[in-house]
Amino acid sequence: MINSVFRFGLIAAVLILFQLLVLNNIQFSGFVNPYVYIMIILLLPSLTPAWALLLISFFTGLVIDLFSGSPGMHASATVMAGFARPYVLRLIAPRDGYESGSDLSMPAYGLRWFFTYATIIIVIHHTTLFFVEVFRFTDFFRTILRILLSSVFTLGFVLLIEYYRKGR
Amino acid sequence: MRNLLNFLLRYNNLIVFLILEGFSLILLTGKNEYHNSRMVKTMTGITRGFDERISNARNYFNLRDINSKLALENALLRNSLKQMAGDGDRMIVEVNDTTNHQVYHYISAKIINNSVNKQKNYFTIDKGTLQGVRVDMAVTSGNSVAGIIVGCSENFSVAISLLNLDFRVSARIKTNGYFGSLSWDGHSYRTAVLNDIPQHISVSVGDTIETTSYSAIFPEGIGIGTVTDVKPSGSDFYFIRVGLFTDFKKLAYVDVIGSLKRTERLGLENKFQ
Repeated sequence: MINSVFRFGLIAAVLILFQLLVLNNIQFSGFVNPYVYIMIILLLPSLTPAWALLLISFFTGLVIDLFSGSPGMHASATVMAGFARPYVLRLIAPRDGYESGSDLSMPAYGLRWFFTYATIIIVIHHTTLFFVEVFRFTDFFRTILRILLSSVFTLGFVLLIEYYRKGR
Repeated sequence: MRNLLNFLLRYNNLIVFLILEGFSLILLTGKNEYHNSRMVKTMTGITRGFDERISNARNYFNLRDINSKLALENALLRNSLKQMAGDGDRMIVEVNDTTNHQVYHYISAKIINNSVNKQKNYFTIDKGTLQGVRVDMAVTSGNSVAGIIVGCSENFSVAISLLNLDFRVSARIKTNGYFGSLSWDGHSYRTAVLNDIPQHISVSVGDTIETTSYSAIFPEGIGIGTVTDVKPSGSDFYFIRVGLFTDFKKLAYVDVIGSLKRTERLGLENKFQ
């Protein structure tokens, strides 16, 4: 238990540092902003109670916000993603359910399952984030394009990291 | 109580979610300039709509009051009119103090040559130095800008038309007073372009553009045109297209305006440059 909390904390710290120090500094035409820290919410164990999930999501978003100077923006998006996670998990549950205590990772449930799961959560997160960022519905399709492109890149990064974890 | 507890237990996730989401939105709108201004804008938009409706309704109910007041005032005015008309042998003397108050004088003239189809258009009028026209006087047509005198002979003068790429006039938006520089871009004889209006100002189609008193040529408040198109240009300024009041294709009679205090003003201003 303590071991898994420690391990998870390490993953979270690495992801947040990666996001803040590397990805936030990439300026790629303004349309592509990958937000890989969302993996923290993806990887939380399936046993996590919903309220803890929401709190962890909120503080993750808040930390990102504090370091990128946009209080509330990422927090609202991560809380939305954290809120959606239990419903998404129920929706795409494998035939024999989730093994209690297992990680929600690619090695445990397979590429296809993980791909669906990550895609849904990432799109929910990015949709909230980018709409909260522009805060209006003019230029609707431009925002949609940003959401789609960034989601694709985030998903790519997430899958890469999962493959790396699997291989190790 | 039991039901309430059950309710809270059942929806506790939703409640935590709403609290956290609400908190982040408060943070968002409270700490970020942009989101704050969007929020305030939306809110004032909504409340203004309500206010307008309420005040419209209130005005309607006040009509009876206003009507009776007007009737009373009418009666009063009629009475005083009668009294004044009866008092026939009162002498009215009008004093016009020209040395102190008149700043501009007007000379009316007729256009005898004009063009609108070149890039540098000029027009000729039938008054010259003998009639009091001088270089750098303003030319208006029906109280809207037409040009500036650039050359005079004894009986004729040539004016640079607004439809000239070299023509510049200081112009402002009537509603909020922000000023920029108006020039012609050489395309259509019905429109000109207003530059140097920064983008944080709200400009809407139909706003009146008029002259400022900064140029010492045109009097303040001479109309130029109305805004027909606003778009942000690459820099921080708007690109504003102005539909001109003056139709240069049928320009016939103009007024030449000279400032009586121009020399004094320029003399003073030049001392400090």
